[in-house]
Amino acid sequence: MGEFLLNNLSDFWTLTGFANASASGLIMILVGILFIYLAIRHGFEPMLLIPIGFGILIGNIPFDTNAGLEIGVYEEGSVLNILYQGVRQGWYPPLIFLGIGAMTDFSALISNPKLILVGAAAQFGIFGAYMVALLLGFEPNQAAGIAIIGGADGPTAIFLSSKLSPNLLGAIAVCAYSYMAMVPLIQPPIMRLLTTKKEKLIRMKPARAVSQTEKIIFPIIGLLLTCFVVPSALPLLGMLFLGNLLKESGATRRLADTAKGPLIDSITILLGMTVGASTQASEFISWSTIFIFFLGLVAFCIATMSGVLFVKFFNIFLSKDNKINPLIGNAGVSAVPMSARISQNVGLEYDPTNYLLMHAMGPNVAGVIGSAVAAGVLLGFLS
Amino acid sequence: MQPFNEALSLMVVGMITVFFILFSIVLIGDILIRVSNKYLPEEAQESKAEKPHRTSNNTHAAIKAAISLATKGKGTVTSITKI
Repeated sequence: MGEFLLNNLSDFWTLTGFANASASGLIMILVGILFIYLAIRHGFEPMLLIPIGFGILIGNIPFDTNAGLEIGVYEEGSVLNILYQGVRQGWYPPLIFLGIGAMTDFSALISNPKLILVGAAAQFGIFGAYMVALLLGFEPNQAAGIAIIGGADGPTAIFLSSKLSPNLLGAIAVCAYSYMAMVPLIQPPIMRLLTTKKEKLIRMKPARAVSQTEKIIFPIIGLLLTCFVVPSALPLLGMLFLGNLLKESGATRRLADTAKGPLIDSITILLGMTVGASTQASEFISWSTIFIFFLGLVAFCIATMSGVLFVKFFNIFLSKDNKINPLIGNAGVSAVPMSARISQNVGLEYDPTNYLLMHAMGPNVAGVIGSAVAAGVLLGFLS
Repeated sequence: MQPFNEALSLMVVGMITVFFILFSIVLIGDILIRVSNKYLPEEAQESKAEKPHRTSNNTHAAIKAAISLATKGKGTVTSITKI
């Protein structure tokens, strides 16, 4: 009787997390707790970091993989694996883009279209980081997946890496979202460094009012132009512009409300949690991950610098009354609306009455389009 | 060297494509918007910030009286903005 009990207890013990724990798994659990702490205590993108952080905890609970429990994110047929297919097959990102489209007001861009070029310039971060990644020895497909982190667009990064470098997907997704949360720490020093006092004080003309007809035409033209040239960006841009048309048409308020509310919230929870769960220590802790985090930072810095420097260059050709404040150059990366808010905050440090937010929203939403186009170009060339 | 050259060409093609598409949106969008505003004219929406705040006559008179009293008739009210 005693031996029977002991054997059963021993068998049970082998199934517990305590018996299967590893140092690397515990490190990942601490990383997950750190993410949750940063999100709650310091307000770093809580909508993303809490699901991701909790997902890291879920993904790193140790268990006996030979016991046939079918609970791991990488185990075919498990619940987590089924939820993870949205990331793996790349169908969460377009749904997120539908919601983003329904939330985005393109007025700032329509009223001052030249700001769209700032959004284009910032995409240099993606291609610059692609070259650095190649120089560090990554394969072209992997380099492209890593470089897209520079677009500061989590869904686009997941979409592209799921197609080009699925083995690095977890690291790329966590890196992209981590740096998006750290935009307020990364961008301001670069913006201050690259602009003169005089440039920081530039006041931009107030944006003109935009009619409803213009707002309705914009997503249709936007879709046709972008996707005729780069069809590979269709899943992302198609959904982005559809979401925007739902919002602006005025005839589909319920659909727009669903897209920008319950739908995007549900997908964000699933995406964040499964991306977090995909960072199992055995897959995640490696030199590649460290390089990816380093390259992600490089990509972010290049993108910010490109946006700011492009505005300075562009100003050479603009009349005195139409100059652009280079502090909105950072908003060319597509972390909406975080990077536009940073333009506003840094601008206010130098002139408390100079409100740059609406001006920065132009390049910011252009960055969303630009990074999806850049992803389409990379996908077209490398898939 | 070969991969580096390919990367360089991808970068050039990629940036040109991004600029071309976004510039086309600017250009063609602007043309279509002009056409639509010409043939489908519609009153532009005023943003909330641009709407002048209407103050009732009584409130206006009370504020004017208070300013006049405080400045002993030297101050005048030119506009009232709600903050």
